[in-house]
Amino acid sequence: MSTTSPNPDRHQRRTPISAHGEPAMWVTAGALILCLALILGLAIVIVWRGGSTFLVRPVHEVTLADGTVFLGSPFESEAVPGEDGQTRRRYRVGNRDLGQDSYRWVRSDEIASIATPSDGVMVERREWGVFFGRIQRVYLIREQEYEPGAGGPADGERVNTDFGPATVRVIQESETEDGDRRVLAHLVLADDAPEARGIFGHVHDTVLDRRASIESLNRHRVPLLQERLSRLEWKRRGIERRTGASRREVMPVWTWGLTALATIATGLGAARLSRMVPRGSRKYGLRVLSMAAAILCAMGVLGVVTEHPWSDDSIPVERASELIADIDADRARLSEELGRVLEEINARRERLDRVRVVIVEPTGGRFSPLSVSEPGEPMAVADVVRVVAANDLGLAGKLRVYLARWWEFLSDRPRANGAEGGVFPVIVGTVTLTLLLTVAVVPLGVISALYLREYARQGIVTSLIRIAINNLAGVPSIVYGMFGLGFFCYGLGGWVDSGPANAAPRGFWWGLVGLTGVIVLGGVISVMFAARRPGRPATAVNRFAGALAWVMWLSAAGLAVYLVSSTPYFDGWFTEKLPERPTFGGRGILWASLTLALLTLPVVIVATEEAISAVPNSIREGSIASGASRWQTIRRVVLPGALPGIMTGAILAMARGAGEVAPLMLVGAVNFTQSSPVSAEAPFLHGDRTFMHLGFHIYNLGFQSPDSQATEPLVWTTTLLLVAIVVALNLAAVMIRAKLRGKHGAAI
Amino acid sequence: MGDAVIEPKKGLGSERRGLRVAEVIRAGESFDAEVHAELADEPEILRADTFSLWYGESRALYDISMKLPRGKVTALIGPSGCGKSTLLRSVNRMNDLVDGVRVDGEIRLEGESIYDPRVDVIELRKRLGMVFQKPNPFPMSIFENVVYPLRIDGERRKGVLAQACERALRQAALWDEVKDRLKQSALGLSGGQQQRLCIARAIVADPEVLLLDEPCSALDPVATMRIEELISEIAERYTVLIVTHNMQQAARVSNFTAFMYLGRLVEYGPSEAIFSRPILPETEQYVTGRFG
Repeated sequence: MSTTSPNPDRHQRRTPISAHGEPAMWVTAGALILCLALILGLAIVIVWRGGSTFLVRPVHEVTLADGTVFLGSPFESEAVPGEDGQTRRRYRVGNRDLGQDSYRWVRSDEIASIATPSDGVMVERREWGVFFGRIQRVYLIREQEYEPGAGGPADGERVNTDFGPATVRVIQESETEDGDRRVLAHLVLADDAPEARGIFGHVHDTVLDRRASIESLNRHRVPLLQERLSRLEWKRRGIERRTGASRREVMPVWTWGLTALATIATGLGAARLSRMVPRGSRKYGLRVLSMAAAILCAMGVLGVVTEHPWSDDSIPVERASELIADIDADRARLSEELGRVLEEINARRERLDRVRVVIVEPTGGRFSPLSVSEPGEPMAVADVVRVVAANDLGLAGKLRVYLARWWEFLSDRPRANGAEGGVFPVIVGTVTLTLLLTVAVVPLGVISALYLREYARQGIVTSLIRIAINNLAGVPSIVYGMFGLGFFCYGLGGWVDSGPANAAPRGFWWGLVGLTGVIVLGGVISVMFAARRPGRPATAVNRFAGALAWVMWLSAAGLAVYLVSSTPYFDGWFTEKLPERPTFGGRGILWASLTLALLTLPVVIVATEEAISAVPNSIREGSIASGASRWQTIRRVVLPGALPGIMTGAILAMARGAGEVAPLMLVGAVNFTQSSPVSAEAPFLHGDRTFMHLGFHIYNLGFQSPDSQATEPLVWTTTLLLVAIVVALNLAAVMIRAKLRGKHGAAI
Repeated sequence: MGDAVIEPKKGLGSERRGLRVAEVIRAGESFDAEVHAELADEPEILRADTFSLWYGESRALYDISMKLPRGKVTALIGPSGCGKSTLLRSVNRMNDLVDGVRVDGEIRLEGESIYDPRVDVIELRKRLGMVFQKPNPFPMSIFENVVYPLRIDGERRKGVLAQACERALRQAALWDEVKDRLKQSALGLSGGQQQRLCIARAIVADPEVLLLDEPCSALDPVATMRIEELISEIAERYTVLIVTHNMQQAARVSNFTAFMYLGRLVEYGPSEAIFSRPILPETEQYVTGRFG
């Protein structure tokens, strides 16, 4: 055998150990399974813990060995560390305003007996969390004065009330100075546990309706009036500032009229000249001339518009006092209206607060108080959010409560620092932020990537730029937060509010405008010399002119930025509110979304570049050969082909942006705010407002809450919601992408 | 053209010369192409005058001088890398897209130099339809593919577009196959259909010259046959310049054939002459498959 083999060593060789079987397959598959298990574990933990927050748990009446009795809902039980066979169970016991912790651990050997009383309820309240107890009594407080002999309520009398028949119980009787009888009475609607719960349900519904109408008044009407009042105040300040002294001069008509005429003439000349130069023509002199005329015309327009020398912006003193008198009249009217509304709200609240309910603990007879400062008064029915008689509910009832709690969570606003209530404004803030950031980042990133991939000559510079962009993706996000605070909030925002901090002198500024025009013209001329002759490689002149054109364009752009940032003709759109209420000069959702846009820019650029380079070159050639320009090719062939990939980039950016918290803390997210970044009032989207964000909300609930034990379940639920929103945004984008793919074919 | 003496032919192989021309070319010496006398009578639409092209330092075309007869099909043949495609792509200046390309000499379309700086290259390309080696339909509907050259010209009228689309698809012999699914993606068509779609796209704007760069090399024999039939049909209306590797194809579809070798035009004449009684032995050996 070996004699015929060309290589005699062949059969003596050993198969290396790594070729036996496929150990590498097992290792790689194991790694993958570990990854999957981790991801799946994350999903399961979040869904399970987040979804179980609102489950209806039974109410146990636990009697301890020492005779104390308490009501509470059982949570997990565990072995007591260090003691064999001994377990303990965590009970949610609530009643924090009576001095308890939200949860307590109970050892199994302490428990004498456990009952599940059907009348034991868990009451969700607006303040101080839940209360476990029994509903004992529902009554109205009535305090009235009666003339002598006019009768009045007597103890035990039956009367009719808004909520049904009640029994009068006179608490206090006194005589006023003018001899009238003043009676403080309780109109008891229900006075023993089983009956009270039924009647309470009915009373509670009515009270909640009334409360909702009061709240809507308080939430909509009052802020609107306040906003109008402060607007009047700012208007007044603006008028005062412009009264008397003018900052501009009115020039004689012939001066600026001549300038305007000259501007129009140069503009017409530019148009005429540019028509004399056909495409591809080498009449460079004419082209330069027409460009120069166009620049001159643009400067003329700028000058005439910014100076507007036909009017000054001052207000004569008499006119100003008239205006201010009008404003003051308006203010007086509005203040009066605001006072009336507030008064009505207070009166209606007071009336509603007279409907009381006594919810007692099993031992000691302590009841849920009106407030911690008034422990002797039973709580108002209006402060009850929901009563859950868990032991009395069937599966359907429990499910109804579960869903109702979810609905409240999703549709209501937070109460008690977010520990209670819902997260609707938080969702609104998160979604608005994410959409704004997408709107900002996608066009910018796509256009940049287009230049980088389609127009720029691939070389060392583009490689360097790519490396820089990729590194940008690795910068810690808090750094972006600092940048956003410094650049957007204080820099750009300050400029929008009050104009440039150091405006350039006018002469100097106009000099720079002229210089910019000259540089732009130089750029135009350089570009002409940078164009190489067809079929010839670039000459030294071409290359030099090309480099010069870059320098010119960049310096013109830099100058333009400087000119805008130091213009003496702009002093802010919101100067009146300064210094106490900066509009854009502080944290807000616009700056936050721009900061996040910057943060996610590398993601979009890289994804778009990849998508663009995946479009086959043959298609580009086909388009160019059909007589399309570069831009037409990009617009009609490259972009539609790359759209699915670009969408992927946008999705990644959205997901990254929606989950980001650290920079938001610096540039606009807050614990709690009454105002919403989107509203029904013009301009509908309020970029200057602060907002709440789910990620930041999770942080607040978990770390900033006074009772973190009680808020822990909500932390999980909010996390679940954040994940769900991110997943939903992604799914939507994936569906759009799939649709686009279907439309444009499956090649790319 | 040139001053090469054209000797009267005495039949193939009767006076076989050595492959002298090939040696001259390999040695890099100057050489004048053998151009048959029949070409002198043809009216020209496009001509190259001592046209040379360099990719960076390497020269791809050497002093090509030839004219394209109006209304005829002209085939460019030659071994791989001889510069056929480069010459074709020089005509509509697709080589502009390649960095470091340099040209010398002229190509004239209707007497106007196309490498003049005054020429608007976009307008130029609109006068020249081009079909590529691999079918390259755009990722859009069949209809939009065909009317693409009109769309980029700013044509928006539905009626005009629909009419042009139907006409081009009929000329490309594709109308009956796709008329019911014009709104569907062009990427769902077969390879041969895609190539005919590309031909329809190339002729929809009525170009003066149709440039075909090995249009059948990516297709199966049946599709190839259909495209060849199609070329013969549209040759009645357009001047066609076709690059091909397939001798039979060149012989079947073209009126004139130019043989190129190492960047030079070697022999140019009526197709039947090139394929049956060429002047140069190199040509004869190439078309019979013994050289190149």
